[in-house]
Amino acid sequence: MHNLTKVAALMGLALGVTATAAAQNNATINATAVVQQPIVVSAARALDFGNVFPGVAATIGVAAASSGEFSVTGQASTAANMTFVLPTNLVNGGNNLPIGTWTGYWNQANNASAGGTAFTPSAGSTGMTFSGTGNAWVFVGATVTPAVAQVAGNYTGTVQMTVTY
Amino acid sequence: MRIRLCLLALLALVGLPTLAVAQLTVRADRNLQFGIVIKGVQKYVPPNDPVNSGEFEFTATLGNIVRFQFTLPTNLNGPAGARMPISFGTTDGIAQGTGPTSVPVTFNPNGTPSFTLVSSNRILVFIGGRVTPAANQTSGAYTAPITFTVTIIG
Repeated sequence: MHNLTKVAALMGLALGVTATAAAQNNATINATAVVQQPIVVSAARALDFGNVFPGVAATIGVAAASSGEFSVTGQASTAANMTFVLPTNLVNGGNNLPIGTWTGYWNQANNASAGGTAFTPSAGSTGMTFSGTGNAWVFVGATVTPAVAQVAGNYTGTVQMTVTY
Repeated sequence: MRIRLCLLALLALVGLPTLAVAQLTVRADRNLQFGIVIKGVQKYVPPNDPVNSGEFEFTATLGNIVRFQFTLPTNLNGPAGARMPISFGTTDGIAQGTGPTSVPVTFNPNGTPSFTLVSSNRILVFIGGRVTPAANQTSGAYTAPITFTVTIIG
């Protein structure tokens, strides 16, 4: 009987120690960010066709003194993209003066004729890169096409440029 | 002698004492990526951002009760000792089971929430956050670790 008690106790012990241990595990990721200067776009000069005449198309090239000009600042030596909202007409009240054949030139220096890159503003997003000091300049030209019966007056439109990283 | 035989037979039947260790694996799947951050402009990445939120996954056993714990940074570390504050809101954690009936559960990653695995044994865990760069924040790359710990508590 004594031995039987021992057997029973041992059996109980053997059955009782089966258990589930708490488990713990971990993993690590990183939070990452790249801090950059804000982009600031300034309208430096209006695209000005001056006097145009009915029936005579007029073109302002990017290197002309009256081309449109934007100055841009951002993160030094960093790429960005330019997009434009361009008018199809200059407007004088209810009268339209067609404008098109847009040309563009961007440069890391304030120079519209050398050291930069030509592009087509109407072609969609265009890449550019800020200079080592975080500057860029963008020049815009176009052609207006007055009709033979174009109504005389002052015609205006808006050229909008957006620059994003 | 008969008793000894009986004892051996009983041990053979019940086996040796056993300790069952619960199965648990945790994996890091994706960094929490803020991308380009402009000086002086806060940027928030929500936990349900499919590209930029941080992502972990773990596998346990159906029916397990698990506890989450995150080790969260208060700053990201940048160039030359620069630091940028980062914070985590009360709804910046999402746990999503991978079973057909699993539904996402929002939680506070600053706490230690517990969940019971009822519909899936593989859980995806997403974390979002917010960085607050100063107007004169030093330019450059910033980073800090986020550690996710899962404990089976039942």
